[in-house]
Amino acid sequence: MNWFGFSVGIATLFIIGLGFVWVIRGERYFGYLWWPYVMGFGALCVVGSLFVSNDWVSVLLGGFGASLIWGSTELKEQAIRGELGWYPFHAKKILPPLSNIIKKWKAPSL
Amino acid sequence: MELNWIGPAAAAATFLGVWIGHVSVRKIEREVERIWIPSALALLFGIGLEVASFMTPNMILSTICGILGVTLLWDALELSVRQPRRIKEGYAPANPNNPRHAQILATHPRATIVDWLDRDPRGTSYAPTELDSKEGGLA
Repeated sequence: MNWFGFSVGIATLFIIGLGFVWVIRGERYFGYLWWPYVMGFGALCVVGSLFVSNDWVSVLLGGFGASLIWGSTELKEQAIRGELGWYPFHAKKILPPLSNIIKKWKAPSL
Repeated sequence: MELNWIGPAAAAATFLGVWIGHVSVRKIEREVERIWIPSALALLFGIGLEVASFMTPNMILSTICGILGVTLLWDALELSVRQPRRIKEGYAPANPNNPRHAQILATHPRATIVDWLDRDPRGTSYAPTELDSKEGGLA
């Protein structure tokens, strides 16, 4: 019996569950324009996991990075949900650097 | 330095599992009338992948099966409970050509065929009067 994959699966469930929380809270106070930074940080985590020799640390870092990349593509829809009143709306957002350039890019939504 | 591919493998399984699950749950729940069938299939394949993760001695394979398995188990819950609830509350568009959705449209006043999320963020919240029209201020 190899318990590793099952344990990793359960841990991944919690990492994804954490994604629900940070996407909702993060969008509320910071806005969806942070998406390229979140995506980039997620990609760094995934690449970084390649250089971690401990399997558990590598797996958790890789899974967390993937969840960050996924969450970055959810921020735009979450912004709309907030505007529609499905979630509390917070008008004053702490915008990211270069937000007026990012605004011209098409935000990903998968 | 030895590269450890188990992290990127976990990342790929997580991202693809969530992405494919996200898209197919919405698509399948929209089209299928007897939703218990795909829900049961997701449950069975999810359990099957978890069993496979226990059986294989290969760490990377066990990781991939373990992650894809739990995402499929989650998809079973999404298909049978969470996505139908979104349809009933109007958070996801109902398909009038699906008899199960037609029934929801007839019995749940908030259910709608409008996809509220098919728009860009505008930076301000919508006033209740804007949301009264079924187009939600788009028309």
